[in-house]
Amino acid sequence: MPLLEINDLNVRYGEIVALRGVSFNVEEGQVVTLLGANGAGKSTTLRAISGLAKPASGDILFDGKSIAGLGPEAIVRMGISHVPEGRRVFPGLTVKENIMLGGSNRKASKAELSGEADAMFDLFPDIRKFSGALGWTLSGGQLQMVAVARGLMAKPRLLLLDEPSLGLAPVIVQAVFRIITEIRLSTTVLLVEQNARMGLSVADQGYVLETGRIVLGGKPEDLWANEAIAAAYLGGHGKPAAGLAAH
Amino acid sequence: MDLVLQLLFTGIGIGAVYALVALGFVLIFRATNVVNFAQGEFSMVAAYLMVVCAVDLELPYWLSFIIALAGMAVIGVIFNLGVYYPLRHRTYLPVIIATIGASILMANGVLALYGPQPQVLPGWFDTPGIQLGPVYLDSQYLLIIVVTIALVIFNYWFFEHTMIGKKLQATSQDKEMASLLGISVSTMIMVTFIYSAVLGGLAGLLVAPILFVSIQMGSTIALKAFAATIIGGFGDVTGAIIGGLALGIIETFGAAYISVPYKDGFAFLVLVLFLVFRPQGIFGERVAEKA
Repeated sequence: MPLLEINDLNVRYGEIVALRGVSFNVEEGQVVTLLGANGAGKSTTLRAISGLAKPASGDILFDGKSIAGLGPEAIVRMGISHVPEGRRVFPGLTVKENIMLGGSNRKASKAELSGEADAMFDLFPDIRKFSGALGWTLSGGQLQMVAVARGLMAKPRLLLLDEPSLGLAPVIVQAVFRIITEIRLSTTVLLVEQNARMGLSVADQGYVLETGRIVLGGKPEDLWANEAIAAAYLGGHGKPAAGLAAH
Repeated sequence: MDLVLQLLFTGIGIGAVYALVALGFVLIFRATNVVNFAQGEFSMVAAYLMVVCAVDLELPYWLSFIIALAGMAVIGVIFNLGVYYPLRHRTYLPVIIATIGASILMANGVLALYGPQPQVLPGWFDTPGIQLGPVYLDSQYLLIIVVTIALVIFNYWFFEHTMIGKKLQATSQDKEMASLLGISVSTMIMVTFIYSAVLGGLAGLLVAPILFVSIQMGSTIALKAFAATIIGGFGDVTGAIIGGLALGIIETFGAAYISVPYKDGFAFLVLVLFLVFRPQGIFGERVAEKA
């Protein structure tokens, strides 16, 4: 049984249809990457899974149980943690407070959360020295580290990562993806990326979304082999474009 | 010099009341992005609850105080469920209008139940006050100042050193993100309304023995407290407290040295000066928090 099963998912924002009949699975232990242009429905897919967007029809099964239509507070308690687009680090709280709040889905005391947050800095040594700094003082790369650390504090079985590379310098993108390769050892990851090269480099499975539909899916090497897709979404065929966003 | 110290004491005392109500304004604003125009009525309703318990029913003063504050907690719950919750997915405008409606309802409800005659509430202490050197410390003003200091310390501890305080801050900064982390946003907003209603009520209970207990007392306090939040920097907790104290001191000195009839005018003159020359208020620059 797949950890996450999405069946014929439709999502609308008012009159606008954001997702049409999207179906795919995420197996436990895998990294699955959703690719596509702006507005293709990648973020909407994640928002529907985490409960921020209500599906108009279709089903989302997590560990065999339907979670479609549940609220975000209930879904994160079941073990799905969503690191949304734009990091969304609380600007008026410190880095450590932000990370500690990531454990709000579990019953844990303040002291336990504090200890776990300190341990989290081992995975993200770059932000340890900003532990007491307020969120709004950080750079984009640091914010991304905080956002991912906060997402991991939920001890999720499935981590949803939305555009972790967006707006980051290439060297920071590399650092973020190094962390993803460490996370995948213990957690299943559903990754949304515009940076197709980076996104597929860590993936077991990739799907390409186009105007709310999945147009192609498969192993990363199969996606690379599809010339039309490679040209349209993967930044041209065979050109080394690592670290640059592909549109 | 003696007069200056005396006025300073009185000004801080009355300013502390504005600060408590202003704090209620700011906390609800930060949690819901809405100015609660019924904040002053919380003070008025609490004062009437106190009159009913302590004067009419002749219950002990401390017990009446607790009953009135507990009553305000209940009103906070009802207010949240009746005024905010049904409109929470709308823009701020319907919610603000609902708070205005609730304020009219509370004022006229009390008027219907209790009549228009202003009531007198005795102070907590039998001793009217103590002479400390050149300054006469009125016991009720002293109580106001001590309670406000204790509350400011409690408020700081609550928001900075407890997880629920952090969750409240997170909710006020980004509700959607807070819900993604498993923070119950509706519970946090409920806590905010209860806390703000109790704060407003406490201000009413403390100031009631100084003023008459009347239907109008709520709107008078609320207008000053609202001015205090703007002077302090809207949405800033420290600013609300400093703004409240500053306003109390300014109007007390204005009344003593310039004109008693224009006492209420000084607060609003300062407000106008701030709106013209420093609209972001004293602590306004830190509003970088709302990214």
